[in-house]
Amino acid sequence: MFKRLKLPPDEGTIPNILPGEVLDKKPIPVEEAEALADMDRRGREMAEIEAFLKDTVELVDVSQLKNPNYYRDLMYLFFPVSTALAKIDFIVDNGAEIQDEEERRRMHRRPLLPREDDQEDYEALERRIQARYAKSSHTDYDEEATDVEQQALLPSVKDPKLWMVKCAIGHEREVAVCLMQKCIDIGPELQIRSVIALDHLKNYIYIEADKEAHVKEACKGLRNIYNQKVLLVPIKEMTDVLSVESKATDLSREAWVRMKLGSYKGDLAKVVDVDNVRQRVTVKLIPRIDLQAVANKLEGREVVKKKAFNPPARLMKIEEAREMHIRVERRRDPSTGDYYESFGGMMFKDGFLYKTVSLKSISSKNIKPSFDELENFRNPDDGDGDIASMSTLFANRKKGHFMKGDAVIVIKGDLKNLMGWVEKVDEENVHIRPKMKDLPKTIAVNEKDICKYFKPGDHVKVVSGAQEGATGMVVKVEGHVLIIISDTTKEDIRVFADNVVESSEVTSGITKIGDYELHDLVLLENMSFGVIIRVESEAFHVLKGVPQRPDVALIKLREIKSKIQRRNNAQDRSRNTVSVKDVVKILEGPSKGKQGPVEHIYRGILFIIDRHHLEHAGYICVKAQSCILIGGSHANGDRNGNSLASRFTPLRAAPDFLQSPRRPPRGGPPIHSGGRHRGGRGQDSIVGTTIKIRMGPFKGYRGRVKDVTGESVRVELESQMKVVTGKSLSLSLSLSLSITFNRNQISDNLVISTPCRETPRYGLGSETPMHPSRTPLHPFMTPMRDPGATPIHDGMRTPMRDRAWNPYAPMSPARDNWEDGNPATWGTSPLHQPGTPPARPYEAPTPGSGWANTPGGNYSEAGTPRESSPTYANAHSPYLPETPGQPMTPSSAAYLPGTPGGQPMTPGGGGLDLMSPAIDGDGEGLWFMAGILVDVRKSGKKPVIGVVREIFPDGSCMVSLDPNGDGDMITALPNEMEMVVPKKSDKIKIMSGDQRGSTGKLIGIDGTDGIVKVEDTLDVKILDMAILAKLAQ
Amino acid sequence: MFFHIVLERNMLLHPRHFGPHLRDKLVAKLMKDVEGTCSGRHGFVVAITGVESVGKGMIRDGTGFVSFPVKYQCVVFRPFKGEVLEAVVTMVNKMGFFAEAGPVQIFVSNHLIPDDMEFQSGDIPNYTTSDGAIKIQKDTEVRLKLIGTRLDATEIFCIGTIKEDYLGVINDPGAAV
Repeated sequence: MFKRLKLPPDEGTIPNILPGEVLDKKPIPVEEAEALADMDRRGREMAEIEAFLKDTVELVDVSQLKNPNYYRDLMYLFFPVSTALAKIDFIVDNGAEIQDEEERRRMHRRPLLPREDDQEDYEALERRIQARYAKSSHTDYDEEATDVEQQALLPSVKDPKLWMVKCAIGHEREVAVCLMQKCIDIGPELQIRSVIALDHLKNYIYIEADKEAHVKEACKGLRNIYNQKVLLVPIKEMTDVLSVESKATDLSREAWVRMKLGSYKGDLAKVVDVDNVRQRVTVKLIPRIDLQAVANKLEGREVVKKKAFNPPARLMKIEEAREMHIRVERRRDPSTGDYYESFGGMMFKDGFLYKTVSLKSISSKNIKPSFDELENFRNPDDGDGDIASMSTLFANRKKGHFMKGDAVIVIKGDLKNLMGWVEKVDEENVHIRPKMKDLPKTIAVNEKDICKYFKPGDHVKVVSGAQEGATGMVVKVEGHVLIIISDTTKEDIRVFADNVVESSEVTSGITKIGDYELHDLVLLENMSFGVIIRVESEAFHVLKGVPQRPDVALIKLREIKSKIQRRNNAQDRSRNTVSVKDVVKILEGPSKGKQGPVEHIYRGILFIIDRHHLEHAGYICVKAQSCILIGGSHANGDRNGNSLASRFTPLRAAPDFLQSPRRPPRGGPPIHSGGRHRGGRGQDSIVGTTIKIRMGPFKGYRGRVKDVTGESVRVELESQMKVVTGKSLSLSLSLSLSITFNRNQISDNLVISTPCRETPRYGLGSETPMHPSRTPLHPFMTPMRDPGATPIHDGMRTPMRDRAWNPYAPMSPARDNWEDGNPATWGTSPLHQPGTPPARPYEAPTPGSGWANTPGGNYSEAGTPRESSPTYANAHSPYLPETPGQPMTPSSAAYLPGTPGGQPMTPGGGGLDLMSPAIDGDGEGLWFMAGILVDVRKSGKKPVIGVVREIFPDGSCMVSLDPNGDGDMITALPNEMEMVVPKKSDKIKIMSGDQRGSTGKLIGIDGTDGIVKVEDTLDVKILDMAILAKLAQ
Repeated sequence: MFFHIVLERNMLLHPRHFGPHLRDKLVAKLMKDVEGTCSGRHGFVVAITGVESVGKGMIRDGTGFVSFPVKYQCVVFRPFKGEVLEAVVTMVNKMGFFAEAGPVQIFVSNHLIPDDMEFQSGDIPNYTTSDGAIKIQKDTEVRLKLIGTRLDATEIFCIGTIKEDYLGVINDPGAAV
């Protein structure tokens, strides 16, 4: 491709001159003849420099030099030649760009070419230049040939040298122009060859000259040059001075870039316009604007700078801005003619922010927009499903993108929509075997014109992008986008066809980043925790341990503090021990009715896998107290203490500490470390645990339990280095967040037992009688166990398993016993499900057990049956019916106040938190508060809206049935009420978190987040909608 | 599709079963072991219809177990891509619904449900046409076409569509009530 150059109209009539064309047809003034002759020599050198520069050379009109827009490129050279023929070379990266700049084309240019005396030389020169330009303008010129030529063109010792001269910062171009002017004025006496000012090099210019003295001479008298120091550029580095970095110029419109700085850091942007001169680009972004802040600012109100608050990116709705009384102007961009809305110095169009930024503040390399980002960029108005700018995506294709056998479809050109299979891949061309019969066997198409093609039902693997590694089946093909049902999560994934390959393999994608793996329980910053339910290339999806609602957060690796590996236990609603792998059923809350094995336990919160639950990888987060254990524990037998404990959970209703008297005295001081969780398992004794003394002279002291004898406990006080003996009743566990289950349990018992003295009906008194019946078992079994292991529990349980329970295997869940084919398992397991009536038949065979009369009675009766059961051999029978009784227990609330474990079941407001030190504070529920609007749904009646007037300790509320709050008063249970979801600009009350109880106004809704202006502080907060309740007017 | 084929298996039998009922024990164990299993190649073994031959038992060194090569006829069920099946819906959610055709679980994504059917959440999540005439909820019987199958060693999972002619609800027990 030749560059078309124009002569200035005043200089001749030849409109277009090709480089190399004979130029001296134009009359040359006689007085310049000498100068021209001198030029011949220079011309040759010049041509060589040109060749070395490899880039297209353009010639410019001197008259244009003052116009700053004229220097649109990286650098210019100034050749000091004779007066009229001064010239500036523009070095550009490729010919194509010049083509774009039609405007510049129109400027007056005059080629300065070396002139030779005779015609042959001209011809030779023409050929030479032609060859050169033809070569460089072709995209696919022969690389090797050029290399050799290029080598030859490198500067040698004979060539003029390049000197680096210091000049005033910011005046580099000016200096170069001055030198050119000087050259024009003085003429050949100025013995320098060229001047180079580089845009990226501040403070210096380069001068090409043979001798240092020439440089100094030329610089003399120029005020912006400090020529005391002139540095020689080594020959090797000369080429580097003039090599053009490609990065600046490959930015074109419609390209995707990412912001490097500011509040938009990392955001995807689309280039709208590029201004190479000012090094600025206009990009289109999804705005992150806090309208409230803008409004405040415009109204001159004091804006409290909040750090690290980055408004979420969303499309701007100008109406919203208007609503906030922000003055919105409508402007027309003079250059494009498009209309923009603008306020606060920002321009918006179609909801996008148009922002002009410096080239340096964006990164344009290796941008791989994720699917979601592109989706967001789709103009909401144009409904066509084509994802724009596929070309940029294709540009990111890896090598070897297509492989033999891939099904492809042609997306461009005459053969558009032709399907075929890849046969062979050359560098850029792909040979495809078309599906159509009449076509030739193979067709070569450009790689950019085809994309992969999949059919619904294909099993594919994602090979790049955020979902990398995932596999699944294609269910839908939307142009270039595939919808895949992931094999593992059964969720939809949207991916680009380009990013997947056909595969029969089944994986869940990457499952590990760093130390953290899929399904790990991790501790996050601010002490929250959760289970990793999905791993993406850079982040984890973590289902947080918040039981009220599924809360999934995207967590970066660095935000994870540690993995929680400790095996904790928890207590279910009936205070059975729940350990990992036990099957539990959820009795209340949003996931009511689901059941599944427990995967993780932490701070009284269970993570359960329900295989029918499709969201969150099957994980459900629930409070332990909202669940009930089904069947026995799944825990392996080898996890002795715990598994047994949980397997026979119903037997454990007796408080642990009551067993302590039965501790074998011969054991001496117990060796086992008790509460110190050895091997991650807390053992049963309270020995070794940290306690707090509740009453007596040492009330309030903390200490470590040294020994337990009967009811007295020896405690080593932390503060006094002293061992005291006290009644265990006056001790309670000190609260500690990392309390293990067993401590937890002990603490329960201690707490419980305190009131026991006053209320003999409770546990202690009534259960004491059963001790004798158990004690005999003790010596019988204990030797079987590791004496180091806690004898208390084991002693009491082991016999039961062996003698009474195992033959019936009633507690083992059915699934475990599948292989045995034992029908008994099937028959009995339902009995454990709460409320299952078939339990009844078992009542009959129980001889003389008084409990049968009170099957659904008070929960604290749990221990009672044991009293009357004469031996352990039939111990199982009382328990079976007992289980169904539990959930029905009407008086369950009665024991709650003393039971830390019971707290979450009691929707009685914050008051109970005090009593549940063992449960972390964030477990505080989302309970109702006075003044909020609720939807009351009594069974069998139409839902009515009412206002909560009063909350009773058990969680039920007095509600007046009228939105204005003056209707009938009724009492509603918490499960009959639902908070009314507030709408925009409603008054709301915050129901959870540290702002609980505050009122405010909902000023906006963003997905599941509400933007709330808190009344007292006037802060604007973004809070989950789930914790916002509409306030009665 | 169902097939009646002959398969072979090496049965390991504990020596305690040796005696006059050895063959019965062997067949009983075979049934217990094989029925209901799934192999990627043959699909689900639905039922054993007969035992063709029981080969000579070989005593395994060290264990005392005896392995018998047993040839048996059985009915297998193997889903194929493109096959039209009738299935019962087991679960409905916003991503689609799961249905079971015998032992095979089939997922019908919401992309493969006709566009006029929309997901309705609630107590009984379902997909309903805009006029409410057709409803897909749990226990609805649907006719669907498999568009993809994934055969693992132990599991067969299929993806089906009802977005074609003559596919969809064939009997809705919920509607009858």
